[in-house]
Amino acid sequence: MSDLRIIDIEKRYRTAEPKGGASSFMLRPVRLTIREGEFFSLLGPSGCGKTTLLKMVAGLLEADGGEVWVGDENLTDVPPESRKFAMVFQQSLLFPHKTIEDNVAFGLKMQKVGKKQRLKAAADMLEHVGLSGFGSRYPDELSGGQQQRVALARALVANPRVLLMDEPFSALDPGLREEMRELLSRIQKEFRVTVLFVTHDRDEAFALSDRIAVMGEGQLRQVGTARQLYERPETTAVAAFLGLKNILSGTVNNGRFTSSDKTLETAVNGELADGDYFLVIRPESIRAAEGDRPGQVSIKGTVQEMTYGRGMYSLKVKAGSQLLECAFTTFQAEKTAVGEPIELLVDMKEAWFVKE
Amino acid sequence: MKKHPRLLSLFLFLGLFIFVIVPFIPLILSSLSFGWRWPDVFPQAWSLRAWEYVVNDGRTWQAVGISLWIALVVTSVNILLAVPAANALVRYRVRGRWLFEAIIFAPIIIPPFISVMGIHLSFLRFGLTETVLGVVLAHIAPTLPYLFRAVMISYQTLSVDWEDQARMLGAGAVPRFFHVVLPHLLPGILAGASLSVLISLSQYLITFIIGAGQVVTLPILLFPFISGGDPSVASAYSLLYAAIAIAALAGMDAALKRYYQTNRASQQEKGENA
Repeated sequence: MSDLRIIDIEKRYRTAEPKGGASSFMLRPVRLTIREGEFFSLLGPSGCGKTTLLKMVAGLLEADGGEVWVGDENLTDVPPESRKFAMVFQQSLLFPHKTIEDNVAFGLKMQKVGKKQRLKAAADMLEHVGLSGFGSRYPDELSGGQQQRVALARALVANPRVLLMDEPFSALDPGLREEMRELLSRIQKEFRVTVLFVTHDRDEAFALSDRIAVMGEGQLRQVGTARQLYERPETTAVAAFLGLKNILSGTVNNGRFTSSDKTLETAVNGELADGDYFLVIRPESIRAAEGDRPGQVSIKGTVQEMTYGRGMYSLKVKAGSQLLECAFTTFQAEKTAVGEPIELLVDMKEAWFVKE
Repeated sequence: MKKHPRLLSLFLFLGLFIFVIVPFIPLILSSLSFGWRWPDVFPQAWSLRAWEYVVNDGRTWQAVGISLWIALVVTSVNILLAVPAANALVRYRVRGRWLFEAIIFAPIIIPPFISVMGIHLSFLRFGLTETVLGVVLAHIAPTLPYLFRAVMISYQTLSVDWEDQARMLGAGAVPRFFHVVLPHLLPGILAGASLSVLISLSQYLITFIIGAGQVVTLPILLFPFISGGDPSVASAYSLLYAAIAIAALAGMDAALKRYYQTNRASQQEKGENA
């Protein structure tokens, strides 16, 4: 097995004097194991340290502590050009004075592979990304999407142990981005390459990844599959970043949860110790009330805003001091209007308590 | 809207004509005249004497050769100095960067006479006066700033990402320089090199003091005729000198164009076929 292991890698601010304070971390120690052939994403807002982590794995940035291993090989002190990794950046960074063919074959040329062999490999790889016949053109004759495909082909041609990707599609327009996602997903499965993918776009991370690490403020917040993260976030920060805006603060007392503005009171299924909690309710688990049902609690409120998007209505309902976001089907949404009172049902099986 | 560019280009053309082309006219007339004196607007008698003298004098072609040779060596040395220096000053956090830059750019501001006196004393001690090597070394000071500046700006426009990308594809330091950095720097190097060649060609004072009359470049040959006595010969030399400078510039320009054209040859064929 040649898993990629990141062991307590960390980065501190260069400019700060040795204050010894926790605030001098650019990236707090990160420990991750990425399995061979896995598609692993680092997801977080800009400035959360995800690109820093990626560049330290690549070796382009020197870590202030920690190790990088692949299988049983310690790569911490190996320069990036000898790690047999590949990287695709946000910009395609194709060498402008070289043809597409020569660009793709560049990695093999560096490995001293013969000209005939490497040009054949380049042509094969270009076919995989759907650009056969483009070999003798120059980068500036290609569109942005095509350039990024070439960058992907160039990264894969030398059969890297790990493919690192730093927001590779964020400079492309949305339609193209989805197309590139499908292409990448297909190619990743075909070549069974281990991918470490950095993005701030959660849809992109969800669509592509086997597992995702959510990052924020220079640290790893939670690691899991897309579903685990979305349905069982460990903190409100993770929930909020994943777009879960219905976070109700409150207290659990003797197995009952009361929100701090008293709009919601319900029994807690499962054992929770008494104390302060946050209740996370996904917009999809709220419905308009049509008579009581067991296991559901009702909330009364007023509809404040209705917006239509992709087959569903998104409603903002004012309940107490809280603005709840709900996803309604068109059928449900047609029964109400902005300014009208509404009774909502929350499926408590779908609701989730977090401590911080 | 349409008239302005036309008017502007007319003015530019007139300016170019007055400042660049007109000065050549009396030079040409003078070089072809025989005893052209003050009240005459045009020379009264014509003669090819000056040109015959210039072309047939063996020293002329020797001087042209030495001038070009010095300019070439100076520029080559400058390139070897400027590229690593620019790399270091742009890419690394250098303590006292302003001091290094000030030293490199100082020759542009400080009159050459001041530095050349000191250089002369040192070179006397090292036995470098009256040698081509000494002149080459002395020419580096006034020419290096221009080349350095051009290369530094080229470096500043080269994002580190390009080199990082090459590294991630397995390129070590040397292939990185030749495959990524050098192609990007090349236009800047060539622009700086043109200036370096021109400035080296036009050095009189430094060549005169360090070379002490033993290293004869074109300006050394030209000056006595200007100050001394034969304006016709001086004019002929001036024209020859201008021709050499223009030829050097044009040659370098052509070299750059050819470099891009050979690189782009296959592309153009493709474009024509499509």
